Amino acid sequence: MGTNVFNIGVSGLAAAQAGLLTTGHNISNAGTPGFNRQQIVQTTNTPQFTGAGYLGQGTNVLTVKRIYSQFLAGQTLSAQSRLAELNIYADQIRQVDGLLADPSAGLSSALNDFFRGAHEVAAYPASIPARQSMLSLAQALVGRFQSVDSRLNEIRDGVDSQLASTIVNINAYSTQIAALNQRIILAQAAGPNQPPNDLLDQRDQLLAQLNLEVHVSSVAEGDGSLSVFVGNGQPLVVGIQTFNLTTLLSREDASRMTVGVALAGGGAAALPESMITGGTLGGLLGFRSESLDAAQNALGRIAIGLATTFNEQHRLGQDLTGALGGNFFTAPVPQALYPNSPVNGGTAVIGVAVASAGSLTTSDYRLTANGGGNYTLLRLSDNTTLFSAVALPQTVDGLAISLAAGAANAGDTFLIQPTRTAASDIGVALTDARSIAAAAPIRTAASTANTGSGAVSAGSVNPPPPANANLTQTVTITFDNPPGTFDVVGVGTGNPANVVYTPGGNITYNGWTIQISGTPAAGDVFTISANSAGVSDNRNALLLAGLQTNRTLAGGTATYQSAYAQIVSDVGNRARETEVGITAQESVVKQTEDARQSLSGVNLDEEAANLLRYQQAYQASGKMIDIASKLFDILLDLGR
Amino acid sequence: MRISSSMIFDAGLASIQKQTASLMHTQQQVASGRRILTPADDPVAAARALEVEQARDTNAIYQGNQKAAGETLGLVEGQLVAVGELIQNVRTLAVQGGNGSLTDTDRASIAAELRQRFDQLMGLANATDATGQHLFSGYMGDTTPFSGSVAGGVAYAGDEGQRRLQVSASRQVAVSDSGNEIFMRIRNGNGSFATSVTATNTGSGVIDAGTVTDPALWNAAGNNRDFRIVFAVNAGTTTYDIIDNVSGNSLLTGAAPAAAPYPRVFTPGQAIVLKSQGAEPAFDYGAQVVINGSPADGDRFDIDASSSQSLFATLSNLITALEAGASSTSGHTLLANRLGFALTDLDQAHDNLLRVRAAIGSRMNEVEALAAAGEDLNLNYEGTLSRLRDIDYAAAITQLTQEQGYLEAAQKSFLKVTDLSLFNYV
Repeated sequence: MGTNVFNIGVSGLAAAQAGLLTTGHNISNAGTPGFNRQQIVQTTNTPQFTGAGYLGQGTNVLTVKRIYSQFLAGQTLSAQSRLAELNIYADQIRQVDGLLADPSAGLSSALNDFFRGAHEVAAYPASIPARQSMLSLAQALVGRFQSVDSRLNEIRDGVDSQLASTIVNINAYSTQIAALNQRIILAQAAGPNQPPNDLLDQRDQLLAQLNLEVHVSSVAEGDGSLSVFVGNGQPLVVGIQTFNLTTLLSREDASRMTVGVALAGGGAAALPESMITGGTLGGLLGFRSESLDAAQNALGRIAIGLATTFNEQHRLGQDLTGALGGNFFTAPVPQALYPNSPVNGGTAVIGVAVASAGSLTTSDYRLTANGGGNYTLLRLSDNTTLFSAVALPQTVDGLAISLAAGAANAGDTFLIQPTRTAASDIGVALTDARSIAAAAPIRTAASTANTGSGAVSAGSVNPPPPANANLTQTVTITFDNPPGTFDVVGVGTGNPANVVYTPGGNITYNGWTIQISGTPAAGDVFTISANSAGVSDNRNALLLAGLQTNRTLAGGTATYQSAYAQIVSDVGNRARETEVGITAQESVVKQTEDARQSLSGVNLDEEAANLLRYQQAYQASGKMIDIASKLFDILLDLGR
Repeated sequence: MRISSSMIFDAGLASIQKQTASLMHTQQQVASGRRILTPADDPVAAARALEVEQARDTNAIYQGNQKAAGETLGLVEGQLVAVGELIQNVRTLAVQGGNGSLTDTDRASIAAELRQRFDQLMGLANATDATGQHLFSGYMGDTTPFSGSVAGGVAYAGDEGQRRLQVSASRQVAVSDSGNEIFMRIRNGNGSFATSVTATNTGSGVIDAGTVTDPALWNAAGNNRDFRIVFAVNAGTTTYDIIDNVSGNSLLTGAAPAAAPYPRVFTPGQAIVLKSQGAEPAFDYGAQVVINGSPADGDRFDIDASSSQSLFATLSNLITALEAGASSTSGHTLLANRLGFALTDLDQAHDNLLRVRAAIGSRMNEVEALAAAGEDLNLNYEGTLSRLRDIDYAAAITQLTQEQGYLEAAQKSFLKVTDLSLFNYV
């Protein structure tokens, strides 16, 4: 009897002690990340059957369980993974956003300054200082293109190095998860019904951290281990085995770092970027393909558009020395990239040229050989097939695509980046201020002997360049009697006679267009000749300066500046979207985290109460042992 | 709901951070005066601001061009005013030269003064702007447009280009006129035809510039615009014939000119009309001339279609006429005729000058109107930019104070809540 009381007291003492230990563990880990509070599970001992019925035999602690919900933990994981993705996206795009809008770093002010220089030359065409200033401002504009582009390239390099460090983290977490898997398998084997709570917490915490790097899915195995997969099934951890991710250069674009899986025999296999979502890795890849590529392409399109359209007008003019204008800018050239390792089977060399700067898009393109000399072109921005299984050359989206040399095997691919490097490739071709073609190559005159009221316009040179070979040949227009028709005489005109006169109508020969208005009299003569010594002529400079406000880009819908404003708006919108997304995602994370904490988090007041509870239980059990001892003393006293 | 201790801390911290972030954003807005710190704050407004900025900058360029155009036009106008005064001056001298009481010496000294005026005119016509570009040489700013002398005539070496400036988005204004237009392309005579005399006339007939009474008839296709009027004096009666120099026929008979006396009888001061009278064959060229004085037998006057005659040539003719001497009666008549032609031509030159000056004046007016509009536009753009980008200080500072209050409340309540613990009583 006394022994039983003693045993019951001891069992209570032990249970209270376990309770105190667990409470203390909870209190001391209240701030440990990933810790789930623990509770002892207490039950009665098997009662003893006596004639008087079942007598209780005290208590025992069945197990220590952690208060944990698989569902709530999973919710928190994916919410945090998405938040980490948005955060890194926002960090990156904030740099681009700030760069583009900065008045001292953005393109906008340099563009305005350059055209101010062009207007200055139009106002003072013979002034060498004005011309020199326009050249310097052109250099500044080109410099600005290049500095914005190189800043974007720095951001791209930053993405690459963050990709590498993120992958190092991912591999480290995988290794740690695999190590914990091993310890958990051993612990499970040692005590099949006793969960190793703290090891599980640690592994869950590692999984949460891995999720911040990239979104993963996990499957609990029967032996207690956890298998972790990225994307749609690429394993990172299976049991105690890990599969490392690695960085490798893109097969299509050797300047682009991408993510792959390290193969057992060395080397690596690329993972499709679309497979990788969530976390830092997903955010970085998403930022690069959605925002950075688009911004750099759009900037390049302005560079190509500006260089091409400005050159075309400049080449129709005449410089201070009387020569026809040359290229003002070095126009960037679209690039075609050839895959590396493995390279294309065929020998085809693809030529890409700008056919019409106004029709260029900001997309990249993939050209695939179908065999038999046929090709298919895919526009990557919207996955539209522009032509399918046709022979080259083709002109599409302002690009002339041709087969420059060799032949392609079926399946060969070519990546075409029309504008990616344009902003860094643009340059100023002119070095001599006198070479700015401010004048027009022709001039018109009405003979002093004319008796009619006919007036001739200043004339213009017909685009596109190169100018007509006979442009500056002297041509005379003589009105017949009666003056309803005129005769044209001059090299290159074919000397047509009796051309019908329409007042104000266009008269076009030798690549120029003039208008004669009013009422010429019979015998009146108008002359079109080379513009020699026309140093104060600013006709072409006015046209060049006017390009600033012409809608020459994006199919004739955008000026240079509005195309730039569009980039700023696109990037700004994405940045804003991301900020808004972060705010929304933060509240999702807060809700899921609150739900998890509400269930699993340590409440110190609760633990204080538990401390008091278990302390009192301990004291009471101690009292029982005291009583049992006293009972025993009574028995001993009886025998004395 | 069960609350974990870390939730209390996390929630408190999160709300403090949130309040701090928005407080900082507002503070930055207030400090910079900008509502949009990065395009992400308002992408649409940021992009719009870039376009408005370009419009404002372009407008500033146009304003600069308007100023330059105004200055250049003012310079040209100043030169033309001087040319106008010079023409008036020459006209006075020409009238003075016609004074019958003058001697050859007096006329020679007037001619000498006119030579000065000629040189002065050359100077004005070859004027340059501040950058050394000739004002009246068309596109050929480096080329001296006029060269020559009284005796050898003056040639124009420039072209007919008109320099233009972009003074608004849709308007280019001409800031120069070619010297050809101002000094060379001047119709002589009355603008339709010019009268002239044969130097060997011996009578005292002085012809006026003539008038076109019906321009449609004068310009009609059948008019050869080249006539001569020949006089004969028979038995005290002065008669004349009008002969078409192209066909060689007399207008008055329709046949080859007959011998004197001629079909019409001359009355001094009465209009000689180029229209059939009485039984003459039908013709009407809508023009008439008046000859005063008494032409002698065999005297001849010519009527030719107007042609271009430079101001320099007019001046040269005047000088030559004055220097020729007029001691004899016929010499005096010739001088009177030539002075008449010179005055007519000077008036034509002056009219032409006024035409050019009127055009320049209207361009200056336009430029001034555009400058005023440009100023308004500039204010407009600045207003738009300010609305797009700048902060409303009253609202922002109110918000700042409000957010400051929120942050303080968050901090204080955080301290109060975290102070509560059962352990304080254990």
